[in-house]
Amino acid sequence: MNFRRMMAIAVVAAGGFWAVAAQAEETVAWWDFLGGGDGVRMKQMISDFNAAHAGKIKIDATTLEWGTPFYAKVQTSAAVGEAPDVMTYHASRIPLAVSQDILEEITADDMSKMGLSAADFAQTTMGAVTVDGKQYAVPLDTHPIVLYYNRVLLKKAGVLGDDGRPLGMKNKEEFTATLQKLKDAGVEFPLGSVTADGNFMYRTIYSLVCQQGGELLTGKEFLAGDNAEKLAKALTVLQGWTKAGLQSTYTDYPATVALFTSGKAAMMINGVWEVPTMTDLAKQGKLFDWGAVEIPVIFDKPCTYADSHSFAIPKNKGKEISPQKRAAVLEVISWMDKHSLFWATAGHIPAYKPVTESAEYKAMEPNATYSTLTANMIFDPKSPKAGVAGPIFDIMSNYFVPTLNGEMDPAEAVKSIKEELNGM
Amino acid sequence: MLRNSRTERLVALVLVAPFLAIYLLAFVYPTVQMFRISFTDAPLIGAGRWVGFDNYLRLDNDPMFRRALWNTAYFVLMTVVPGTFIALLIALGVSRLKGRFQSIVLALFFLPYILPVSVVYLIWDWTLNFQFGIAMHVLDWLGIPRVPVFKSRVWFLPAVAGVTIWWTAGFSILLFLAGLRSIPAEIYEAAALDNATRWTTFRRITWPLLWPITSLVFTIQLILQLKIFDQVYLFSIGGRPNDNMVLVYYVFQKAFQQNQGGRAAAVAVTLFVLVVVVSVLQFQLLRFAERRRR
Repeated sequence: MNFRRMMAIAVVAAGGFWAVAAQAEETVAWWDFLGGGDGVRMKQMISDFNAAHAGKIKIDATTLEWGTPFYAKVQTSAAVGEAPDVMTYHASRIPLAVSQDILEEITADDMSKMGLSAADFAQTTMGAVTVDGKQYAVPLDTHPIVLYYNRVLLKKAGVLGDDGRPLGMKNKEEFTATLQKLKDAGVEFPLGSVTADGNFMYRTIYSLVCQQGGELLTGKEFLAGDNAEKLAKALTVLQGWTKAGLQSTYTDYPATVALFTSGKAAMMINGVWEVPTMTDLAKQGKLFDWGAVEIPVIFDKPCTYADSHSFAIPKNKGKEISPQKRAAVLEVISWMDKHSLFWATAGHIPAYKPVTESAEYKAMEPNATYSTLTANMIFDPKSPKAGVAGPIFDIMSNYFVPTLNGEMDPAEAVKSIKEELNGM
Repeated sequence: MLRNSRTERLVALVLVAPFLAIYLLAFVYPTVQMFRISFTDAPLIGAGRWVGFDNYLRLDNDPMFRRALWNTAYFVLMTVVPGTFIALLIALGVSRLKGRFQSIVLALFFLPYILPVSVVYLIWDWTLNFQFGIAMHVLDWLGIPRVPVFKSRVWFLPAVAGVTIWWTAGFSILLFLAGLRSIPAEIYEAAALDNATRWTTFRRITWPLLWPITSLVFTIQLILQLKIFDQVYLFSIGGRPNDNMVLVYYVFQKAFQQNQGGRAAAVAVTLFVLVVVVSVLQFQLLRFAERRRR
């Protein structure tokens, strides 16, 4: 082999190597809205993913402000071709996104490329990301609300059962009595409630409506028939607790968490995403003995509001995703779902069944205590008007704060909510 | 000197062009679009069907729009006149100070003005938060029941108005101070020689000579406060804009939260017309008042 030939081979080889390297390192632009304790876990997962795919796929992640800011940005950026390659999305918002045509369909072919199938997910969760038989996202988790409680305070007031769970979870009278006993035992706020944030309370109130078998949307009509009364009943119960001094008034979200973790509030209804806050504090020895269970049954049957964090691929106008990029995105989604046991430490219930069916997951606390509630979950009504920071959520939330704090009559609030929703 | 008027015009055009281009692109075009969209049922993104005056006719029968209109008026009433008056008082006070001390005091009053609105929100939330605000501990200590300042229906707008005055007074003070400095000292000397009292000096000299500044501050404040949004948005985090609904918030809610671009545009057009009419009317009235005085 002469020198010239050797050089030529070297150049071709180097060029080829360079081409492979350039092709292989696919950067996936990622947007999420996970700013709390769960965000820390997600960042860990992203860096684990990047380490496992070094030289092949790299996630370039950005965390944006939860709620309206996130969704407003997604809508406008997809319209001008500046959206990310993959993003977290609330299942409840998918009908709205589909009506705006900003999501790519996830085909059966995509699912098989990811090594996933619809049977790997609970039917309700899969249903929540499907519109007219077409799938638009891959669920990562379901995240209901739960009842957090302080075992020390409950024990002191004599309302802690032998199984370490709160007593009086079966109906309104019992639960109110439990709260009253805590009050009598000198607890400042038996229940810490996010009464200054209607957005948050939507979840509790919707759960209470569902516990009466009520629904928000019947066909195209909001709060049809006796559903209006059911909503009023739910609000009356909560307002009653305020008036009796059993729950904290005018408390915003961070203050609620602070009231609970500082021991001023004995119980708190909040999302499972606060689990990492509790576990981290407990690990540092800064928290009392705590637990989390399914929310109490106030009316006829157990029912809890839930939503699902899912992964969606935005439809970028005029800047369609390349096949290579799409393959990388699918790998990202698939990896995240298959490694979602770690995501469960963020409190969420993983959507991928093989994870929730594993022995490791079943041993995980407090997830194991409340994971039974998946049988009693209700998602938002399937409508382009539903979803986190969407029209229904927004309109209803606005009347909750004055009602919960006793400034507005529940019947008056429900009347206005009904008028506004149907006048949309 | 002879000038080539064509070259002059060309130079003028070149100098004005960058501004004109940005003005057309960032103001005129969106404004025209706003008018156009207000006649359609467009969602937030994309085009909609032509619906004529439907969006406007619906406003007539919209309790939330009426509330927004009323609340905006209420807010303007609480900020513009008191804000201007407070700024004048502070300027009169500051103008009596001398040298470095004056600069320090002026800087203290001006400081809030340079803060971004999010910082203003955080400062006041830390102070007045119902559960953890510093002021609430003071109330506890005095034995007065806590007041949910930013959360109750009654207190919300007055509280935001107070914060707004605190935040924006600095700029008005600066304008008034400039006005006070431009009044020649000789006039005050003459008045002193005539044994004029302080009150007479203020009423006959300071106030009339300061009138152009007052009307300027007044007009700036009026336009600014009609467009009130950021503070209301931040302080109603957690979803209670309905009792506090102001016009720009209503535009935001309709467009970004309820996905109704067309109806949002109709509200925006209404606000646009309102701002133009009110500010022109007010400026003319103030000028009329000034002319009568002479």
